[in-house]
Amino acid sequence: MAEQDIVNLVNGVFMESFEIPGEKLVPEAKIFTDLGLDSLDIVDLVVALQKKFGVTMRDDERVRAIRTLEDIYNFIQILKQENRK
Amino acid sequence: MISGIERRECATEYIPDWQRYKGLRCLVAAPVQMQDEKLIPRHNRRSMGRLSIFSVQATDQALLDSGIDRRHLSGGRLGCVIGSTMGSAESIAEAFETLIPNNDLSQMTSTKFFQCISHTAAMNVAQYLGITGRVMATCAACASAIQAIGAGYDLVRMGEQDIMLCGGAEGLHPTVVGSFDILFATSTGYNQTPKKTPRPFDAKRDGLVCGEGGGMVVLEEYESAKARKAHIYAEIIGYNTCGNGSHVSESNREAIVFCMQEALKSAGITPDQVDYINAHATATIQGDKEEAAAVREVFGDHVPISSLKGYMGHTLGASGAIELIASLIMMRKNVIYPTLNLDEPDAACQGIFHVTQPMDKKIDVILKNCFAFGGINSALVCRRAD
Repeated sequence: MAEQDIVNLVNGVFMESFEIPGEKLVPEAKIFTDLGLDSLDIVDLVVALQKKFGVTMRDDERVRAIRTLEDIYNFIQILKQENRK
Repeated sequence: MISGIERRECATEYIPDWQRYKGLRCLVAAPVQMQDEKLIPRHNRRSMGRLSIFSVQATDQALLDSGIDRRHLSGGRLGCVIGSTMGSAESIAEAFETLIPNNDLSQMTSTKFFQCISHTAAMNVAQYLGITGRVMATCAACASAIQAIGAGYDLVRMGEQDIMLCGGAEGLHPTVVGSFDILFATSTGYNQTPKKTPRPFDAKRDGLVCGEGGGMVVLEEYESAKARKAHIYAEIIGYNTCGNGSHVSESNREAIVFCMQEALKSAGITPDQVDYINAHATATIQGDKEEAAAVREVFGDHVPISSLKGYMGHTLGASGAIELIASLIMMRKNVIYPTLNLDEPDAACQGIFHVTQPMDKKIDVILKNCFAFGGINSALVCRRAD
C-alpha cells in the first residue's frame, strides 16, 4: 500500500469517527493533546484502524508508543510489511 | 407535538423495511425524525443511543423553559431521574450483531456499553450537563417516566434535593415492537391504513403501535419556584406506584383501582375533584378494557378521559412524561385533547366520559395513569398552580 494511501485512510478515520476537520490532521499532530482524543477514543481508533487496514493491533505492545498521527502512519506501514512476510 | 395533536394528526407510518423480519406482523410505528443531534458535542454524543439523544434534547428544552440558573447543575442539590424500558434497543442489537457471528469482541467499540446500559439516559444527561446531585434511572417499562417523576417528587418534598430533572425516553426498534408482537399486543390489521391505528378504547382497536421520543419536566420546591417567579405549569400533589401481584402482562381492574385511589389519597382529594384523566390506554384489547373498568369504578362517567396514543403511538418509557406535558398544556389552554381514532367506544370500555372531540374545560386537577409490563402501575396527580 502506498504511503499516501495510508495517510488518506488514517485521516479518513479521524474525520469520520472523531469528526476532526481535515486541516488539523498534520503528521506532527499529537493524538491526545492536539486532536482531543481520550482513552475511550483510543479503543475505537484501534477498532477502526483494524477494520480499515485488515490488521491486528489491539494487543500489540507497540501501540503504547504511538503519540502522533505520523506514528500511526508508520505503524500501519510496519504492520502491512509484516503481514506480507 | 402539540400542533400535531391540535391538527388531529396521527403519526403512525407503514415501515416497509420491517417486512424482512419473519414473524413480525405489526409493520406500523410512529418514528421520530431526529434533528440537530450533532449540536451535542461528540465526546458526549458517543455514549448516546437514540433515547439518550432524545433525553438530552428534551432536558435542554425543559431547562430553558424553566429559567433555572445553570450554575445549579453542579452544586450537588440538583439531580435527574430518567426512566426507560431498557438501554438503547438499537445499540443492544448492534452489539450482538458485532459479537455473535464470529464470537469476536475485537470489533466492539468502547462506548457501545454506555449506550446499552439501563441507566443510559440518566447517565448521559448528567454527564452532558455536569450534574452532581442524585442521578438515577427508573426501569419499569411503560411506567418508567411516571416513576421517575414520582421519585423526583419524593426527593424534593423530603428536602434531599432542591431541583430534579425527571422524565423518560425510548428509542424505536423492531426488537421492541417484536416483544409486543409475539404477545399479540400490537396492531396488525392496519398496516395498509396506518393513520387509523392505534385506536384507544375503540371497538375496532387491535393493539398498540410503538412510538419513540423523550419528555422531561423540571421539579422544584413550590415556594422556591414561586419566589423566583418561575412560570409553574402545575403542582404535583399526589403519586402512587404499585405492583399488581398477579400477572406479568395482563393488567387488572383491581390493581388499577388501588393505584388510582392511593394516588388520590396521597393528594388528599376525592374522585369528584379530578377534572381530567389522561389515560394509559394503548389500544390493546385487554389493557383498555381493564383501565376503563377501573376508571368506571372510581370515577363513574363524571370525569373526562382521553388517551394520546392515537396521535403519537405508545412511547413506552417516555409516555408518562410526554403525555403529562401534553396534559399540562391542556390545563394551561383550558382544553381537553380528544382520543384520536376513537370512533365507536367498545362495549367493554363504556360507562366512562370519553372525550372524542376537542372540549373546552377549565382543568384544575389532572390524573395521569401509566401501567407497565411486569404488573407495575403508576398514577400522578397534578393541580393547577395558584
